[in-house]
Amino acid sequence: MLTINLFNGLVYGTLLIVMCSGLALIYGLRRVVNFAHGSLYMLGAYIGYSVAAHADFWVALFVAPAVMAAIGVVLDRYGFRLLQDRDPLTVVLVTFGLLLVIEDFVQTVWGKSNLSLATPDALNFAVNLFGTQVPAYRIGVIVVGAAVALGLSLWLRFSRYGLFVRAASTDPTTTSMQGVNTDALSAGVVGLGTALAGLAGVVSAPFMSLSPSMSADVIIDSFVVVVIGGLGSLAGAFIAAMVLGMVQAVGAVYLPDASVLLPFVLMVAILIWRPAGFAGSRT
Amino acid sequence: MSIQRMSLNTLAALVIGAVIALTVSSGTVLSLLTQAIIYAVFAIGVGLLLRQNGMVSFGHALYFGAAGYGIGIILQLGLMPAELAIVVTLAAIAIVGLLFGLVIVRVPGIAFGMLTLAIGQMFFLTASRARGLTGGADGMSIDWPSTLFGISQSVLLRPANLFMLCWIVLVGIILLLALLLRSRFGSITEAVRDNEERARFIGISTLLPRAAVYALSALVTGVGGVLSALNTGFISPESLHWSLSGMTLMMVVVGGYKALWGPALGAVVYFLFKDILGDYADHWMAIFGIALITVIVFSPTGIAGALQKLRFRHQATPAKAAVSSH
Repeated sequence: MLTINLFNGLVYGTLLIVMCSGLALIYGLRRVVNFAHGSLYMLGAYIGYSVAAHADFWVALFVAPAVMAAIGVVLDRYGFRLLQDRDPLTVVLVTFGLLLVIEDFVQTVWGKSNLSLATPDALNFAVNLFGTQVPAYRIGVIVVGAAVALGLSLWLRFSRYGLFVRAASTDPTTTSMQGVNTDALSAGVVGLGTALAGLAGVVSAPFMSLSPSMSADVIIDSFVVVVIGGLGSLAGAFIAAMVLGMVQAVGAVYLPDASVLLPFVLMVAILIWRPAGFAGSRT
Repeated sequence: MSIQRMSLNTLAALVIGAVIALTVSSGTVLSLLTQAIIYAVFAIGVGLLLRQNGMVSFGHALYFGAAGYGIGIILQLGLMPAELAIVVTLAAIAIVGLLFGLVIVRVPGIAFGMLTLAIGQMFFLTASRARGLTGGADGMSIDWPSTLFGISQSVLLRPANLFMLCWIVLVGIILLLALLLRSRFGSITEAVRDNEERARFIGISTLLPRAAVYALSALVTGVGGVLSALNTGFISPESLHWSLSGMTLMMVVVGGYKALWGPALGAVVYFLFKDILGDYADHWMAIFGIALITVIVFSPTGIAGALQKLRFRHQATPAKAAVSSH
């Protein structure tokens, strides 16, 4: 019982890592908390569903994030870039408006009822993990999440563009004076962040049903993660996502009535201790 | 604004309310207006936090729903008379608001908004699951007694009377807040909002005033919740859901939060607009989402800001007056 719960906690934690790295990247470059990030995740899942219905799950796994990346670039070019001198509050409210528009779009195109996407055949079997049968597909989810986390960390740490992203997150003005085109960089990073939301959506579609309420649950958990981890900190988000996944998993075994409340209790406790999260600085 | 001017405006507002209550004979129009006024009270609570603290709450539905649940549970258990239940519930909301405020206003910037969203959702989930006490997702009906404050329920719930009651509460709240904000409390909270560090340098304790504004905004929202409980006689987790908080925030922004009455105007515009939309109301999310984006981008001070600008231009008042109106 505990093993399977811990395993599911790990799966959910990796999904949150993929979501939150997108949120953190966008916050880092544009200082925007994207309230529409959960809706973009949902849109990615639904696009994945339609592509999988016409072609194949594996095609959807690449097409949905690619479509979302394009949406992200447009969002940055015609949204965040034009609003970059505005009060951060203004931009948050714009993303909230966008959330409403996307929710309505999804309900109009795909309907309000729950849809489900079949697990791809290649991964539709069970694996014995420490004496517990677990679905192979979920192991695949963990692998994808770990690859995203590792790939992003290495890219940011060692590549030339990773250096630009870190520099622009710290001080965009100085970075652009050094000859980096921060607008193009931001478009790329917002595209990447949005693609990651889309990827999380497609990957979660076979084991969480698709419904117009899926965005709210995930965006709230993601916010808990980024607030606990410290806004804009990738490492903080990784740790917080895992802690959240595990706390929910252990809570479901020992405190089944209170398990939905645990993340919030954890968050309030951490914020009393450190108001800017574990890795956050006061900004 | 001088005291005379304030009392004159209040009197005018009460007369307008009475004229509406007496002349509008259609029950559906009155009940639509009553609903709009109830949400206007809610929106004023959210707007107060934004105006005085510069903080956006995405979780104020918590206090709106909590008022209904508090009264509903007290009446169901038969703990005390309904009049006392209202007072106790509102006092509890103010105290809980102050305690939460002391913790969460310390969280900087936009993280505050994300935190309020999460806390609100926590209570939504709790209320949806606690079937024994709250009836879970189905909600619960509120057993109002047959007379409230000596007035029989059938008289109180007549559309014109209920509208007038909500209107008086709304006008009263705006008046009390206007009086409070022209006192020292108003200047202190504005100083803290504009530059917390400088306010600290001149010896103002910055945490308590901000927590107090948060508690006050929770209390005002709670009053809206009480009116809604009286109007519908029913409470469900929907009243705690974040989408309600978001919708109210939209009324605040569209109405304009720099003026105290702006959010109320936003609520009325929202309900009238939603009613006019009629058949297209299925797509209200997209329509309001686009409206929200348009207003924020092109007129950040909302309808109230645009009206004030128009009036000042019309009166050709010196620029100084326009600045001090903020």
